[in-house]
This record gives sequence, structure tokens and C-alpha cells, in this order.
Amino acid sequence: MNNFCVLSLITFLPLIGGILILLSKNENSGLHRTIATIFSGATFLISVLLLLSFDSASSSIQFLENIPWIRTFNINYHLGIDGLSFPLLLLTTFLSLISIIASYGIDKRTKEYFFWFMLLETGMLGLFVSLDFFLFYVFWEITLVPMYFLIGVWGGPKREYAAVKFFLFTLFGSVFMLLSMLAIYFASGTGLPGSERTFDLIKLVELSHSGQLQLAGTAAMLVFLGLYLAFAIKVPAFPFHTWLPLAHVEAPTAVSVILAGVLLKMGTYGILRVLYPILPEATRAFLPVLVVIATINIVYGAFCAMAQKDMKRMVAYSSVNHMGYCLLGMAAVMGNPNAAHAGMSGAVLQMVNHGLITGSLFLLVGVIYDRAHTRDIDAFGGLGTRIPIFAGLMIMQAMASLGLPSLAGFVSEFLCFLGAFGGSFGHTNFKIWTVISVIGILVTAAFFLKMLKLVLMGEFNPKWEGHMPDMTPRELVTVVPLAVMTLVLGVYPAFALRLMDSTLTQLIKIVSGQF
Amino acid sequence: MRQLILLAPEIFLSALALALLVGEAFAPKQHGLWIKIGVVGLVLVLAHQIAFFVTGAFPGAEACRLLPVSVKNGWVQYPMAFGMVAVDSLAIFFKVVILAAVIMILWLSEGYYEFETAPMGTYVSLMLLATVGMMFLVASMDLLIAVIALELLSISQFILSGFVLTRRSSIEGAIKLFLVGTFSTGIFLFGISYYYGYFGSTGVASLLEFAASHQSADLTLSLILVFLIAGLGFKLAMVPFHMWAPDTYEGAPTPVTAFLSVAPKAAAIGFLVRLLANHASLGITPILSVLAALTMSVGNLGALHQTNVKRMLAYSSIAQVGYILVAVVAGGSSGTQAVMTYTFIYVFMNLGVFAGLLMVSKQTRSEEIPTFAGLSGKSMGLALSLVIFLLSLTGIPPMGGFVGKFAVFASIIPQSNLLWLAIVAVLNSVVSLYYYFRIVHQMFFRESDNPSQPFFSPALVCCLLVALGVTVVAGILPNQILGWVRSVIGS
Repeated sequence: MNNFCVLSLITFLPLIGGILILLSKNENSGLHRTIATIFSGATFLISVLLLLSFDSASSSIQFLENIPWIRTFNINYHLGIDGLSFPLLLLTTFLSLISIIASYGIDKRTKEYFFWFMLLETGMLGLFVSLDFFLFYVFWEITLVPMYFLIGVWGGPKREYAAVKFFLFTLFGSVFMLLSMLAIYFASGTGLPGSERTFDLIKLVELSHSGQLQLAGTAAMLVFLGLYLAFAIKVPAFPFHTWLPLAHVEAPTAVSVILAGVLLKMGTYGILRVLYPILPEATRAFLPVLVVIATINIVYGAFCAMAQKDMKRMVAYSSVNHMGYCLLGMAAVMGNPNAAHAGMSGAVLQMVNHGLITGSLFLLVGVIYDRAHTRDIDAFGGLGTRIPIFAGLMIMQAMASLGLPSLAGFVSEFLCFLGAFGGSFGHTNFKIWTVISVIGILVTAAFFLKMLKLVLMGEFNPKWEGHMPDMTPRELVTVVPLAVMTLVLGVYPAFALRLMDSTLTQLIKIVSGQF
Repeated sequence: MRQLILLAPEIFLSALALALLVGEAFAPKQHGLWIKIGVVGLVLVLAHQIAFFVTGAFPGAEACRLLPVSVKNGWVQYPMAFGMVAVDSLAIFFKVVILAAVIMILWLSEGYYEFETAPMGTYVSLMLLATVGMMFLVASMDLLIAVIALELLSISQFILSGFVLTRRSSIEGAIKLFLVGTFSTGIFLFGISYYYGYFGSTGVASLLEFAASHQSADLTLSLILVFLIAGLGFKLAMVPFHMWAPDTYEGAPTPVTAFLSVAPKAAAIGFLVRLLANHASLGITPILSVLAALTMSVGNLGALHQTNVKRMLAYSSIAQVGYILVAVVAGGSSGTQAVMTYTFIYVFMNLGVFAGLLMVSKQTRSEEIPTFAGLSGKSMGLALSLVIFLLSLTGIPPMGGFVGKFAVFASIIPQSNLLWLAIVAVLNSVVSLYYYFRIVHQMFFRESDNPSQPFFSPALVCCLLVALGVTVVAGILPNQILGWVRSVIGS
């Protein structure tokens, strides 16, 4: 396959679709849906075709594109993927297509809706393929704008507040990323010929490794914290998670899927792409804090989820808990090599799995919300016999989320715990935190089982008599592929792990300084 | 006398301004004509100035046997006209910005609802005179020329903001501007008197030589500079000299508000950069950085609770000047480049918002924020353009405003003792999102209760498209603007 510009094609194809939608007539919502589906479908297909020519044995960057962009600051349009970004790229194109199909029910201002959606897809894809920090930042910010509109126009009752809170929170983080990014740039050279400064993430890793990055001690820690703030808000890591439940609850179903499935991963991806390899020393010093934050995310997120009456809110808090596993796995990077490898693989796999599982849970909650216009757990009961297909899928995905073996969630959570148990930094090991985190698993199981019991078992609430048809074919088309992938990755995770293997091995070496 | 050729553009515009005044007496009913003549005249001068950058020489100078004294990497400098007016790349860069701004403002003025019976010949003539004042200001190499230029600008500005005689707020704003303007000129002159005592001349060159050859300055010189900065600060609406701005902006006719928010600021910044590009040895960095921080913060916090768009834009323009001042604080080559980049982009993105406001308020006759309600349903194109301008003002990529902000931060970050200023600046841009997006909120999240459609006249659309083009292109392909700015200062 001719791989010239294929990543640019993937990144900007949705935007082209979006512009076509913008140029079409206002009333023709069928056309808007069709264009959106065709373009995001094509994007998905091309990204899947990349699997054929992607060399998973290599840890180097593939499908490179590198064109000078802004000469004054030595900024390049540098794209490429490796074992870290490729799984997330696939996840993004997959979930975007699913979400577009799940959005067929939108009938208000469809033109704008699909335009913003396609712009959002371009932003997310661009982020995962950029290898220039400046470009990374540009795409990072591009995702904010469509999200603001998608929540603010098509969301629930408090949508306007949720939209602006989301925007302000994330922007607050990203401006510090801007400062840190500039600090790294100025530390990367003197600006004289032969020592040009650079934003190139790959070159920065090399400079950092060879000790030419003039950042150390307090300065490095400040830069680290600036970047960490931006990424932690996105993850969201405690204590920056407060925007998430609000945004999730107010967002329309398909947007929640993208928000949980992809946008949160931008945070963890940023940590692995930027912080780990470029500031390894500061990263190592931060690991003991990171493991505590991960533990809080896991336990606190789970307890919060348990307290919710609103199913969507519950799934939203379960995201806080699940991203905690991801952080826990990442914190293991300094342990013995096997543990580190398990932890890091678990973390990246957890990003993908959480996207699939939580995405499908949001869709399923959306299914009953569309019928009943409430998400109150107590309002239902006995749905298991009335709508068995829904019930089956709901049980399966809830079980996947709570970590039932043979489903995807188990594999990645297990790897995260395995890694963290062997993880350490200096003389402190992370065993105690891992043990505390296991409580999170228990609570997760408890609240999901409670939800299943209240919604699917017991007496049928006669109020919904006649209002509860089973899932329509369109709804099945959105949920079943996710469920299938959940099962596939649960039974045969090696398929996904192999993709990321060599890149992660390399990354662990860089962070632990053995490279 | 040969040097007069170097002042030909200014002379031409002054003559045109006088001709318009006379012409109006003979044809008082020709509203549109005067604006067209003004635009044509300004476009001619703009083309002349752009030709300077394209050919690297002042058009017409060679015919008068005048050659540049210094040419380096795109930096071109002619001998000063009469020893007082600089003719160099820096001055002409700011002249281009000012001319482009005034042309767009004349477009904005066409068909403005409060101008239906106004004497437009006088209006255009005053605009041209103000332009001449600003062109002299950015080129002043002598503080006395600067004072005269400032006065020419001030008096024209004062009459322009009180141009709607039937509305009290317009006159109130004009009088505030007049009083403050006079007062600030007084302070400026007071500073000059000490400057003369210190250097024995009123030439700017003395200060530049001093800055280049000394490591530190004594308190007297710093104090003199504080007076000069304060005098210019009124024009820039720099905190704490900003009190007049919100009332004057709200009261002035909207096209004049647009003018006030960009052109005099660009001119004053042009002169400030000439004076203080290398201020590291002048002992005023601490006070400048505090002023920059205050200007950003007061501007943004003041804008948060405004309900009138013009008032909000007044505070927003105060804050925007604050960002530019951050780059002035950074100083040196990278600081100057950042000042120029930001000023250039600011002019276009801010005028874009004004073009949108004029299109919307033509029918609604209201400048309160809800005047934008439901705009996305009435005209998606206009609503999206405004989103782009507002994102750009906030500094979100990939818009031009982000490139400007990026250049500003890139100039300040290497100076580790000014990290606090960079942090203040980024926090301010988060705050600004909140109020800029109150307009977006109205456009997209609210339904309109007023069925009137936005007004699209060719002139307004032209202005909007130019602003949009510059904002988007400068954001996505900033090579051109950054390269140009770099060549202008010859680094």
C-alpha cells in the first residue's frame, strides 16, 4: 500500500465531510447523516487497512510525514504512528463511526450537529498522529470547540453550564501545557545554527536521552507539572475530575461515547507520549504521587458511582474509576521489567477497552433513556423479561466493566494490577496501594450488580407498559460491534497487545534510563 | 526639499482630507461618495507602502536621488526626513497596519444607521487626518513630532466619537476622551521637558544610543520614561489610564468604536516599540511588567460582567493591549516581532467582530449581547465567522490570534524572572474565553425573539471577508506573517 500521506488522509477526511455537510441544505437531515456516515466509514476502513502494512515488530514511527510548517519556530507538520498511537487511532475511527450511527436519532439542527462531530473526529485523529508538540497542541485545542457546541446545543437540561465548564476546565489545563511546551522548546537548543530548537517529539526524546535538553531539577519539575495539569484534567485524575460527571450527564448519548471513549484517552496518551519519554527524571520522581492518585481515582470513583441514582452518572463515575486502573498500570513503569511491561501494556489496553465497554454502556443507557426519558435506576424493574436482547447486552457489558474474565476489561485490569504489584520507585514499592485499589474492583462489582438487579430483575414498572420495545436494528448496529470487540479482546488480547509490544518495551527502557 | 518625497503619502492624505472638507460644502448630500473617495485615497497610499516591502525601496525616492542608508536582511532605512521623521521598515510596517485598519473602518461606516444624516465628508476627512497623525506618530524620531502627531490624532478622535450630536452618550464619551486626551498630552509634554533637560535634545536617537551603550539607568531617566509611557498609556487605554475607554467606546458610533479599538492603539504601540524596544538597561522593566499584568487582568475582569457588546469590547481591547505589552516587556528582537505579529492580527480579528456587530445591530438597533440571539439560525456563515474571530481573540488554535499569543509567550518564556507574567497572561486568556463565548452562547444556544435578518451590504461583507481571511490564513499558514515581521526588523 502506498502510504504516502495516508495519515493526513485519515485525519482530514472527516473534516472534508464536515465541510460538505456545512455546504448542504439545512433541512436535508438524511443527507447530513449519509455524508457523515460515508466519511467516517471511509476513515474507519482506511485505518483498518493500515493494519495490513503496520509492522508491529518495530518500535519505530511508521507512515511518516514531515513537512516544514512554521519556519520561524522550526515547527513541522510531522505525522506518524507507533504501537502507542495506532490502537488509539483505530479506537477513534471505530467509535466515531459507531457514534455517528448512534446519532441518527438527532433531529434538531442536524447540519451543525454532524459538522461539529466531523470536526471533532479530525481533532482527535490529528492528536493521535501528531509527532510535533505544536501540532499536538493545535489538535488538542481543536477538540474543545466542537465538544462545547455538541454539549451546549444538543445536551440535557443543564447543557449550557456543562458546556462552558468543560471548555474552561480543559482550557485552564491546556494553557499551562502551552507554557511548558515553550519551556521545553527553549531548553532544546540555543537557537544558533547547529543547535536549532525544536518541537519535534521524537527529536526531543533523543535530546532528553543524550542529556542535551537543558532542563533539570526544579525547572524540569515545573514543566512536568504544567503538562501533567493539562493531561490530568483530561484523564480526569483526582482532584480534577469534577467537570466529568456534569459533562457526561448533559451530553447527548453519542457525544458521551466519544467523550468517554476517546477524549479521556487524550490525557493518558499525552502522559505516555510526552511526559514519560521527554521528562523521564521528573516522571520517576512523580511516580509515587501518581500511584496514590490512581488509587484515589479507583476507590473514590467507584464509591461515587455506587452513590448515583442516575445510570449515566453512574457510568460516568465508573470512568473515573477505570481511568484510575490505567494510571495505576502506568505508575508501574519503574518496577522490574516484567512488571513494568505488564503494567504499561495493561494501561494502553485499558484505554482501548474502556473506550469499547464504557462506550457501549453509554449507548445502552441511551437506549432506555430514549424510551422512558429517565435514567433513574429506581424507575425501572423487570426489564430483563420484557426486552431480553437489551438485557443480555447490558449484562455482558456491565460484566466486562466490572472485570469478568473472558471479557476485555478483565485482561487489562489484571495486567494493570499485576504491574503495579511489582511496581516500585527506589525503596518504596506500590504493593500497599495496589491492595487498596483492589477494593475498587469490589465496589465496581457491587454497583454494577446493584444496577442490573434494580433495572433488569424484579417487578416490571407498569408505567412503561407499551413504551418498552426491544432494541431496534439501528441500536443493535451500534452496540453489537462493541460487544463483539469486547469479547474478542477478552478471549484473544494478544492481537492488541502485539501491536503495542515493541513500542512499550522501548518506552519502558527510556523512562527507566536503561535505553 | 527632496526629502519631501519621503513624506508624500502623508502630504497626499492631508490634501485629500482638506479637499473633502471643501468638496462637501458643494455637494452636501453625497453620503456614499465621500467614503468611496476616502477608501480610494487610502488604498493608493496603502499600495504605495506595500510596494516599499515588495521592492525593498521607497517608491519614488530613487528618482529624487535619495538612497537608503541601511539595508540588512530586509531591513531598509532611509535618512530621516528633516531629521525628525523616520522612514524605515518598522515605521512602514505600522503604517500598513493602520492604513488597512482605516480602510476597513470606512467600509464599516457605510450605511451605519446613525450616520444617515451625518456630514460624511467631514467624517472621512477627520478619519484621514487621524490617519496622518498616526502615520507620523509611528515614524517620530523626535518627541515634539510625536506630540503634534498625538494631538492631530486626539482632536480628530474627539470629534469623531461625538459625531452623533443627537445622542447624549456620544457627546459624553467625546468629552471624556477630550479631557483625558488633553491631560495625557500635558503629562507627555512634562516628560519631554525633563527629557530635554537630561539629554539636551528632544530626539529619540539620544535615548536609543543611551540604551545601547549603558548597562543601567539612573532614577531620573526611569522617571522621565514613566511620564512618557503614561502619556502614551492614555492612548493605549493601558491600566491605570483606561477609565475613559468603556464610556467613550459605548457612546461613540460603532464604526468609530471600531476605529478607537484598533488604529490609535496600533499607532501608540508602534511608537512605544520604537522608543523602548531595548529597555533592559533603562530600569523600567519592573514597572512595565506590572502595568502589563494589570492591563490584562483589569481588562478581562472588567469585561466579564458587561451586557453591552461595545462596552465588553472596550474592556477586551484593554486586555488585548495587555498581551501586547507583555511582548513589549520581553523586548529585544523576539519581543518586537511578537508585538508586531500580535498587533497585525489583532487589528483584523477585532474589526471582524465589529463587522459582525454592525451587520446584526443594523436591524435590531441594539448593542446589548442578546442582540446576537439565534444568529446561527439566521445566518450560519456569519455566526461561524464570529466564532472564528472570538476564538482568535481568546487565542485558540488554529486561528491567527493564537499565533500572536504564541509569539508573545515565546518571547517572554526565555526570561525566567518574568515567568509570573506569562502565567498571568495565560490565566487571563482562560478568563477571556468566558466573556467572548457569551456572544457565542447567544448565537448558538438561544432562540431569537426578533425576526430581523442580519444586514449584508457589500462594504460590510468585504470587511468581514478580509478580516476572516487574515485571521484564518495567519492561523493556519503563519509563515508569511512571521517571515515578514522578521524581515521588517532585519533579524
